[in-house]
Amino acid sequence: MSVPTNPKIEKETVKVVWKKSRQAKTIPLNDQMVKVYVWELPVRIFHWINALSIFILMITGVFIGRPFASASIQEEAYYSYLMGWARYIHFFTAFVFTINLAVRWYWVYKGNEHATSNPFRLSFWKEAWETVKYYLFLKNKKKHYIGHNPLAQLSYWIFIGLGSIIMILTGYYLLFEPQPESIYGKMFMWVAHLFGGDSFSVRSWHHLVAWGFMVFTVVHVYMAFREDYLQRNGTMSSIFTGYKIERKEEVLGENNGK
Amino acid sequence: MKRKTILETVLDRGFTRRDFLKMCTALAATMGLDFSETDKVVAAMEKSARVPVIWLQFQDCTGCSESFIRSTHPKVESVLLDMISLEYTEALSAASGHQIEEARKHVMKHYYGEYILVVEGSLPMDDAFLTVGGVSAKETFIETAKGAKAIIAYGSCSSWGGIPAAYPNPTKAKPITHFVKDKPIILVPGCPPIAEVMTGVIAHIITFGTLPELDHLGRPKAFYRHRIHDKCNRRAYFDAGLFAESFDDEGAKQGYCLYKVGCKGPTTYNSCAEMRWNGGVSYPIQSGNPCIGCSEKGFWDNGPFYVRRAKIPASQTTINPETVGAIAVGVTAAGVAAHAAITAVKKKEQENHDRGERK
Ligand code: HEM
Ligand code: HEM
Ligand code: SF4
Ligand code: SF4
Repeated sequence: MSVPTNPKIEKETVKVVWKKSRQAKTIPLNDQMVKVYVWELPVRIFHWINALSIFILMITGVFIGRPFASASIQEEAYYSYLMGWARYIHFFTAFVFTINLAVRWYWVYKGNEHATSNPFRLSFWKEAWETVKYYLFLKNKKKHYIGHNPLAQLSYWIFIGLGSIIMILTGYYLLFEPQPESIYGKMFMWVAHLFGGDSFSVRSWHHLVAWGFMVFTVVHVYMAFREDYLQRNGTMSSIFTGYKIERKEEVLGENNGK
Repeated sequence: MKRKTILETVLDRGFTRRDFLKMCTALAATMGLDFSETDKVVAAMEKSARVPVIWLQFQDCTGCSESFIRSTHPKVESVLLDMISLEYTEALSAASGHQIEEARKHVMKHYYGEYILVVEGSLPMDDAFLTVGGVSAKETFIETAKGAKAIIAYGSCSSWGGIPAAYPNPTKAKPITHFVKDKPIILVPGCPPIAEVMTGVIAHIITFGTLPELDHLGRPKAFYRHRIHDKCNRRAYFDAGLFAESFDDEGAKQGYCLYKVGCKGPTTYNSCAEMRWNGGVSYPIQSGNPCIGCSEKGFWDNGPFYVRRAKIPASQTTINPETVGAIAVGVTAAGVAAHAAITAVKKKEQENHDRGERK
């Protein structure tokens, strides 16, 4: 979708935004509508690397846990390296996944207002509750959100925030447990105590939480399509382009409310 | 009375010094020491006296005792007769009843702070399940532990709770570490532990007068630092992706990896793959049986033995993660579909409504 923009205005707003304020920059389209730069480039890159690596990690991970295919050359182990490759791809992707997440954490501090979330405010929980009612088709006072709504934020905290941390801790523990004497081994030894004490429990955590990601993905992708269908504001394309089309007063209203 | 040194005991029994040196070399190897450190063992054995040992059995199957007496290097005779003086054991003592209890009291008094306490089996929280001669297991253990120089937990029961602690754990069995915390305790888990590991640990204490180096869970590093999976003779088949699917298929005959028939080698720490059993003859995986993880905490509830599962955190229940995961995703997808349908209907209603208003 191409929207006519005014390059002069765009430049000015960029300058303003990059000074100190974390307000998302906006580009007026006409006297009613504005284009809001909701998801900055690092957020979009994070999103797709994250989604792709989770996809690869899940396939290779389930293969590691339950090898659903066997090497085609039988009898001698020498000629194949099927599980070996599955593990290598899993580990390599895991490193990408970890670095990607670290960059996103950095962006929580660096990015615009929509790149962060603060669940330590009462209003966050009140608004999340209104959003729950909204999704249950009940009467509600849910506002219109330009960024993530609080419920979506909560789901990212639980699945992407906490879930990723669990996967990373248990994953690196599993990776380094054969070398308990190495620096890396020592760095992750304590993880076992957090997840039941023995290797089997840690592995079980890793495997079960992996499925949590799949549940999240189903709901998340549905929500993205649904939002797009109901609001017609370019939610779907926003995760590719970064922009959403919003009413001017909504953007102003949201900013005034802060 | 001055106690005889280990060297003196060996010579008394008609062995030569050469035999003694051989014994020390074998011992050093078992303890995971470098060959060059053999002289340390020799020096220690020349000086130290036989160590009194009290061996208590609680909720156990005597399997650990059975394993112990099959040690081939050091030979169990040399451990039993030369290195330690086993003052109290239910399985091996000729004496019994009050007589043997006297012997235990005697050691506890005269060798206070010097004797080693060996424990086989877990302890019940409820005394009704294990009280001998009017004294509860807990009491016996705590009393005997008081004067012990160190405590060795032989087997998975005393180390982790073991089979008595298996679901639903009727006796509320606990490992010995639950009852005594102020003593050095070495865990030597396994169901049973390998004989040479058992004697190796005791030999280390006698030789050096200190505990062997322990890992983060309190197990001697020399024997528990490696994972079965990383030393397994079938590992090449694992990496290749060649798996036995059942116990009677072609893969099983070819010696493929036993992962898919439930092998717990990837989560098990023990010396089986290196030291092997029965004097180094073989070990379960080599003989075609998957590892059941017998030296791991909770192995009794991580079953079934021949199926790969995941454990529900903080429970004693295992599930097939793929089945449960697929069901969870399926239920979610169904919920999403229903939600989508309602959303579409509502939107249509709203649109009709809006159109009505505009007219
Ligand atoms: C969302 C991210 C991830 C998913 C969905 C995932 C999924 C899985 C699954 C399903 C397994 C099989 C577990 C079993 O054997 O029962 C596994 C194994 C494993 N994963 Fe991950 N994982 C993820 C992230 C990571 C990370 C960040 C690491 C860190 C290095 C990691 C390292 C490992 C290791 C070492 C194993 C065991 C491999 C083996 O023993 O051969 N994983 N993963
Ligand atoms: C077809 C696949 C997907 C589409 C179309 C999609 C779309 C979107 C959209 C539109 C948003 C912003 C919506 C909002 O929260 O208001 C978003 C955010 C997000 N999505 Fe996805 N998504 C997809 C797959 C995934 C997958 C597989 C994951 C990870 C399991 C994922 C994780 C996230 C996260 C963590 C955010 C928050 C982004 C941030 O603030 O950094 N997405 N996605
Ligand atoms: S048989 Fe067991 S321990 Fe050996 S490679 Fe296969 S899974 Fe690992
Ligand atoms: S191979 Fe596994 S189950 Fe068998 S004795 Fe060794 S640790 Fe126990």
